[in-house]
Amino acid sequence: MVSIKASYKKMQEMLGKQLSIEQLEDLLSYTKSEIDQYIEEEDMLVIDIKTSNRPDLWSPEGMIREIKGILEEESGIPEYEVKESGYVVKVDSQLASTRPYIACAVAKNISLTDYYIKQIMQLSEKIDYSYGRRRKRSSIGFYNLSMIKSPIEYKVIEETHEFIPLESTEKMSLERILEEHEKGKEFGHIVKEYGHYPILLSADGTTLSLPPVINSNDVGKITEETTGSLIEVTGTNFETVNVVLNILCQVLVTHGAEIYSVKIEYPPDIYTRSVITPLFDKEEIEINLDVVNKYLGTEMKPKDAAKLVVKRRFNCNSIDNNILTIEIPPYRKDILHWVDIAEELAIALDYNKIGPTKWKVLTTGGLLPETESENLVRNILVGAGGTEVLTNILTDPEILTTRVNIDKQNYVKIENPVTSTYSVMRKMIYPLLINVLSKNTHETYPQMLFEVGEIVKLIDKKVITQSNAAFLCADAEASFEDTHKRLNQLLSLLDTDYEIKQVNHPSFTEGRCGRIIIENKVCGIIGEIHPSILENNQIWVPVVGFEIELPLIPSLKCKVKSTD
Amino acid sequence: MSNSEKKISLPSEAAKIYQIIDENDNISIRELEKQTKLDRGKLEYYLGFLVANELISRLEIVSHQISLTNNGKEAAENQLVERRITKILKEKVSVSFADLSKLVKTDNKEMNAGVGLLKKQGLIKIDKGQISIIDKKKEVNKDLQIILEQLLSGETVDTSDFNEILLQRNLASLEEAKDILLEILIPYKKVSSSIQKMNEVSRLTPEMIRNGSWRDTRLREYNLKAAPPTFYGGRKQPYAEFLDEVKQKLCALGFKEMRGPIVELEFWNFDALFQAQNHSAREWSDVYQVSNPKRGKLPKADYVENVKKAHENGYDTGSKGWRYKWDPLKSAQLVLRAHGTSVSARTLVDLEVPSKYFSISRCYRPDTVDATHLSEFTQVEGIVVDPSITFRDLLGILKAFAVDIAENENFKFKPDYYPFTEPSVELDVLDPNLGWIEFGGAGIFRPEVTKPFGIEAPVIAWGLGIERLFMVKNGITDIRELFSHKFDWLRTAKMSRG
Repeated sequence: MVSIKASYKKMQEMLGKQLSIEQLEDLLSYTKSEIDQYIEEEDMLVIDIKTSNRPDLWSPEGMIREIKGILEEESGIPEYEVKESGYVVKVDSQLASTRPYIACAVAKNISLTDYYIKQIMQLSEKIDYSYGRRRKRSSIGFYNLSMIKSPIEYKVIEETHEFIPLESTEKMSLERILEEHEKGKEFGHIVKEYGHYPILLSADGTTLSLPPVINSNDVGKITEETTGSLIEVTGTNFETVNVVLNILCQVLVTHGAEIYSVKIEYPPDIYTRSVITPLFDKEEIEINLDVVNKYLGTEMKPKDAAKLVVKRRFNCNSIDNNILTIEIPPYRKDILHWVDIAEELAIALDYNKIGPTKWKVLTTGGLLPETESENLVRNILVGAGGTEVLTNILTDPEILTTRVNIDKQNYVKIENPVTSTYSVMRKMIYPLLINVLSKNTHETYPQMLFEVGEIVKLIDKKVITQSNAAFLCADAEASFEDTHKRLNQLLSLLDTDYEIKQVNHPSFTEGRCGRIIIENKVCGIIGEIHPSILENNQIWVPVVGFEIELPLIPSLKCKVKSTD
Repeated sequence: MSNSEKKISLPSEAAKIYQIIDENDNISIRELEKQTKLDRGKLEYYLGFLVANELISRLEIVSHQISLTNNGKEAAENQLVERRITKILKEKVSVSFADLSKLVKTDNKEMNAGVGLLKKQGLIKIDKGQISIIDKKKEVNKDLQIILEQLLSGETVDTSDFNEILLQRNLASLEEAKDILLEILIPYKKVSSSIQKMNEVSRLTPEMIRNGSWRDTRLREYNLKAAPPTFYGGRKQPYAEFLDEVKQKLCALGFKEMRGPIVELEFWNFDALFQAQNHSAREWSDVYQVSNPKRGKLPKADYVENVKKAHENGYDTGSKGWRYKWDPLKSAQLVLRAHGTSVSARTLVDLEVPSKYFSISRCYRPDTVDATHLSEFTQVEGIVVDPSITFRDLLGILKAFAVDIAENENFKFKPDYYPFTEPSVELDVLDPNLGWIEFGGAGIFRPEVTKPFGIEAPVIAWGLGIERLFMVKNGITDIRELFSHKFDWLRTAKMSRG
């Protein structure tokens, strides 16, 4: 999810009307966004945006473009005139295998206040981060046009090349920028993977930037004084760099800027021809309205549907009986299939006005046999006096090892935990129940608790999920009998014969612990928890208990679920 | 009329207790328990005689005790947020809000509160987003900090001047301690001569029943007003029980249950759901990756091939697809199930048409755990498939969920986004206290999701915000309570729902 900040006043200004927060939020719902917070002292809205495929909506300008369509104040694809700037970018063929694509535009007559410059920077950052995959797929740069001479070179250069990067006062070599500059440390890994350094140079040799890492300090920024700017997007995907440029141009046009095109001269091993950017490839999609009506459960006429798509800022180029040809705006690349247009139509109709049917699909419902089996066990253990608890399956390795006297456990580990508290998958439940007991020593005893829940195990390098049941009883008077009689009741109600074989287990006291055996298979453990564990967990009463693997109880229908 | 003129029948234990209370000149039940070494149940039984004979009276006393909340403990240990802010500001000329937030190492909400407080007291100024301190010498809320530290160390402190601010800032809470004070109405000496020890039997024995001697014996009256001893029977976990109820309701609506593994192939968690392999939701910051083993085995080759095509060129759905080279090795990577939709994806294989399914599953995301986020959470979701089903039917299903499961007639729909459905809808319900809250989401699976598995009929996918519903219904504000370890809650949480 993308989250942006915007001025509430400025949003109302751009919409040309006064709206309450609730009214604004209602309108924002058409752009799949919602107001997360309104900080009145700072006149600031924090807006959460749900779409990850619509970077054109990640700015107030984009949202308002959409809303004005819904309010029927504007319609269709917004058009603006693009003149030639005379600027040329020459692309080096060495970039073919690394970061080959670039899209540029020149914007003149810009007069942006500090607020809107910050807004555009916010949009650029969000696009770089999310749509641009942290600048790997695409990254944006803005430059002061007056300091740039054509032709601009986008090429590979040696690591000793020097320039003054943003936020710095001294010249640094490219190599040093990656090692020492804040942005170099953050994004340098992308360049390191390339094995060479991409650079943007003005015809007079001035450095524009080291894409996608950092711009030059003097050329590479815009301020309130800037009237002309070169906008550039580099990346690994032709379509992505062009759509991102179109989004930025569209925003600048909203603020009265004039857009001029730039000619990109590609070598043949990157792209077969030169490209004039911003690129407006008129992409169209055909929809069969009968099919769409059947899909949505609606009865739109071709003319109505044409009006509705225009309301959603598309153009309807032709209507041939029930076939509509729809033109997609150049800043949108999320339309892959006619179902995407079906949604646009449904939004334009308003979900709440389309209205729900009394739904049909008559089927019989039911729980899975394994859930029924688990419920059976839960009911018996409640009857045995147990208080049910839910604990985490993703848990702390310490709870599973040192806290229950075990050195090492062969559990499934997480590669990227946020904290070690949630970093491994439990393969037994009783250690978590001991943890619960350790947090409740101030509560009345006896404390009897149980959990029937999933665990994750590795068997022959395969990962499986299954359900276990664990029961613990903590009380000054607790003895082995207290747990044995309950296990016995559980298994006899489940019509299962079992035996207990003495075993030594680090969590249990020697001579007071046994394996539960059913049909010659080990399927659980029962015993008295070792006093050293009680001491370690500061539980000052004896604890007895058992844990049993439900798939190994033949009368139950619990299954092992393998990932493969 | 005087009590002393009457004979008073008391069990000898009750007479003894009467004497103790008298000697102590009023005593609390808790203290009496200690002195008599009787359990509360027996004690209440005997006290019942004394109260009934108007020898003593019971007076409920409530004392208030102030104790630190987690917030308060943190502030006591690490200093109040405004003090942390001023400490940093004293070292710097000015700092932006974002940098300050990083330096103070706290969330925005607390930062806002701290900055707001300092601004109100005129200790800082904010100029173009830059925050700076006005008077470097001034110490902010020093007294409060000292009180917090004293409370943390367990000292007895008079907090009366600070109670209001402590409670208002959620640094401390007032807890009630209840006890019962026993007061003497008539001194023991005055009536001791008229006390008659009873010769009654307190317990009916098997012998008495068998030999009929019960006929000649008077069984002592029970004191029906005595408080019973505390008893905790076995019970289900309240949230688990709520989930059972939701399952029942879904079954009643004709949904069949489905389940899947917790450790999941990226294939089922993402690829089968048409989420491109470079989609940001697939990055390490958004999904837990498994380190041993790293990969599993992909399903049947046809399905893998079709899903690959859906990504690369749209397969035969008419879609453009994502147009990149799909990597089976990425797809075979193991992750923790990030959403219940992976269970639905698995169900698409050999899907029965028409059918309706649901699953309630634990899902995992690398979020920092706090009052509104869990890294292990529950998702309720499912699918509905029928050749004739439409988007309007989907709205009908959501309506049924609002009415039957959230038990709320006030609902509305909003456009939503899921990578695997089109159109996508959010379902909001109107809570009388909280306003509109999100209760569910749904959409029709994109053809790029269903066709690779040979499904031609539309498949509706839906999910419900069940945790939120449980919290709203039970007045829980901290999501961590759902997996609470507190025996107090597990034993006493009410079962009836409003």
